[in-house]
Amino acid sequence: MRESSDALVLLLAGGIGSRLNLLVGHRAKPAVPFGGIYRIIDFSLSNVMNSGLTKVGVLTQYKPLSLMAHIGDGAAWDFTGRTRGIKILPPRTGEKDSDWYKGTADAIRQNIDFILANPSEQVVILSGDHIYRMDFDAMLSYHQHKRADITIGMMVVPKRDIHQFGAGIIDSENRIVDWEEKPKVPRTNLASMGIYVFDTKYLLRTLARDRKEVDFGMDIIPRAIHEDRVYAYPFYGYWRDVGTIQSYWETNMDIIRENSGISPEAWEIRPNPEYGGRPMDRAPARFLPGSKVESSLISAGCVIEGTVLNSVLSPGVRVKKGAVVSNAVVFDDGVVGENAVVDLAILDKRVQVGAGAVVGQGDNLTLANEQFPKHLYTGISLVGKEAKIPPGAQIGRNCIVNFGYNDDSFNGQQVLADGQSA
Amino acid sequence: MHRHSTLAMILAGGRVDELGVLTHYRPKSAVPFGGFARVIDFPLSNLLHSGIERIAILSQYRSYSLINHIGTGAAWDMIGRNRGISILPPFKDYDNPHWYRGSADAVYQNLDYIQYYGPSVILVLSGDHIYQMDYRKMIRYHNEHDADLTAAFIKVPAESASRFGVAEIADDTPEGGRMLSYEEKPAAPKGRWASLTVFCFRPAVLFEMLKRNQQGDSYEFGRDIIPMMMRERLNVHGYKFRGYWGYTRTIDEYWQTSMDLLGPDPKIDLEAWGIRTNLGHRNIADRQPVKIGAHGCLENSMAYNGCIVEGTVRNSILFPGVHVMAGAEINDSVLFFDNIVHQGVRLNRVVSDVNTVFNRDVRVGAPQCEQPSRVSVIGWNNSVPEGLHIGCGCRVAPRIAPEKWPQEKLDDGEELR
Repeated sequence: MRESSDALVLLLAGGIGSRLNLLVGHRAKPAVPFGGIYRIIDFSLSNVMNSGLTKVGVLTQYKPLSLMAHIGDGAAWDFTGRTRGIKILPPRTGEKDSDWYKGTADAIRQNIDFILANPSEQVVILSGDHIYRMDFDAMLSYHQHKRADITIGMMVVPKRDIHQFGAGIIDSENRIVDWEEKPKVPRTNLASMGIYVFDTKYLLRTLARDRKEVDFGMDIIPRAIHEDRVYAYPFYGYWRDVGTIQSYWETNMDIIRENSGISPEAWEIRPNPEYGGRPMDRAPARFLPGSKVESSLISAGCVIEGTVLNSVLSPGVRVKKGAVVSNAVVFDDGVVGENAVVDLAILDKRVQVGAGAVVGQGDNLTLANEQFPKHLYTGISLVGKEAKIPPGAQIGRNCIVNFGYNDDSFNGQQVLADGQSA
Repeated sequence: MHRHSTLAMILAGGRVDELGVLTHYRPKSAVPFGGFARVIDFPLSNLLHSGIERIAILSQYRSYSLINHIGTGAAWDMIGRNRGISILPPFKDYDNPHWYRGSADAVYQNLDYIQYYGPSVILVLSGDHIYQMDYRKMIRYHNEHDADLTAAFIKVPAESASRFGVAEIADDTPEGGRMLSYEEKPAAPKGRWASLTVFCFRPAVLFEMLKRNQQGDSYEFGRDIIPMMMRERLNVHGYKFRGYWGYTRTIDEYWQTSMDLLGPDPKIDLEAWGIRTNLGHRNIADRQPVKIGAHGCLENSMAYNGCIVEGTVRNSILFPGVHVMAGAEINDSVLFFDNIVHQGVRLNRVVSDVNTVFNRDVRVGAPQCEQPSRVSVIGWNNSVPEGLHIGCGCRVAPRIAPEKWPQEKLDDGEELR
């Protein structure tokens, strides 16, 4: 059996991403739609593809069905053919002990058989949660050049943000000499991106050592930097962990902004246009007489009769006459009825906003959502998949309208005050 | 177990003088249409939705663009154990030295291909019309009436009938009837039904007719085969098509048919018709959504992913990747893939082929043209020099070398090669 010189990629796509609230109600975070036509995981998958890597294992756990359907056979990212492939690796029972994935290292440990079945000299471990563009081939060359056991992709972040990350201190050769996981008091501003290159044999030895070491950042890395060769691979460029509603919204808006540093097309990010098995392709976006669109991203299949400002529209969204959509992210096939207003909101797939309704009423952006004050507190309102907002209804700021909401369950209230959920 | 099966043969067309500039490097059926698709996607999508799974495309002219576009046929679900699209170019043979000498000759030269699949119905269609049709209905009519040939027709006004093959069809049923007479492009037409070049044949009869036709010196379905079958008093029926039919024979026709895509209730409804294209061709699938700038404006227009609109676009169609810069104005035009329109450009009634760049302050066409408005067409991979004025009804060939452009202007109706 030939030993492949292609590194094996393990993509951790199991996280809950709970701060994304309704957006991860029915799907894992990597499967959340983004930038009109993409899903968050398209960035990692495309980076892998564009780096020339052809064998991927995707470790799923939380609500994986959307993700599995989106990945399909991997054809969208060229992972098909006799020597290529993308495999979904869910937690599974076996003869010996097994369990849900308890941490990043534990997830990899439970898939040692996959690593053994796909021989390679290095293993690239990354998550499917982030928005960025990176050449892993360059990182692999760097890893080999440094004769490293582990190479960690790292980037400079403002010191006030370092508490969210694993933080490393390096010497003049970029070797990591000290490490702190989510430090309260920052000693460095070099943050781990959660992207690792491991020497395969080294990885297998390390994982076999102690099953209580379940997390790379908390367990494996701190020990390794003292005993082994661990290097930092510096990353410069746009990178976002769209883990909160606010950062998710901002990153979408960045695509519209000039000189923001993000450009999915220039980064060669590939969506999966076959998802959903529609019997026909989306037609070009139509801008009907009377429509007005400014500073926005409009996907094919949209039909615009009203006004759209500073918004990101996924395929098939219809904005009817007199409606105004602003500062919003609207997922596939949403309908904004005549004279309705949607402002500073994220609408999941197939939401219908009734005629004359308002989503994003009022100026009080700071009254946090009562049920989830840590999720919604900057003024953005969320409307879940397939919800129907009744005609004339008024939804305030930081509100949540649950998926499947419709007239019958509205309870006769026409107004949802700031911070309320329905 | 006997299964009824249909083999569809699409006449991909060749170079058409009137479409000149757009068919320099591709056959007529591969011309972009509909803001993201190609003309041939219309019959192909119709075949897909009609459940017809074996297709041959007869192509003779510059097949590369077409081959690229068809790919494996996966875009129209034409892959699998019993499904497939084959492109059949002309070939050298022991005793047949000929290129395809006509539509009937093209089918004749591929008789062994047809006989290999042994279909019970052969559907011959042109690849260059814009329409939606469920061929199963026509095939059912054909089988119910035990016809040797069923040809589809559309009613046209008397004045325009001379352009077509024209038939008189009996009023047997609302769907169709026996063909009572047929004339190819008659000066004084008897009938009012114009042939759509959609034919359903009984295979044994078709083979016989094609063999006999080889004795002659003209090999076209309309001009030769149908009249032959009428003379033989075979069972020939006319199928009455009622629906939109778009022609793309000339630049002006192409432009007019394109305009039928626009408006609140367009005559051509791409999604309702189920149109599919090859999203891999020219990387259509990898373009990001349309980006409209702070001063961008689109009125009664359509634009596909990859476009960047910072200027003004009215009553126009933008294919993927078109970049309209601030201060540019486009009216009543169709711009193919990846055109770039710089500041100060004014386009009126222009069809512009792939990758063409309109440098600053270029003018093509005018808001009011002197004669009945004619469309100007610009060939692909051109870089129209800054400040140049091109008139109405002009034709500019592909890839004009920098030194060949006129200094100031191209007059109405002029051609540049």
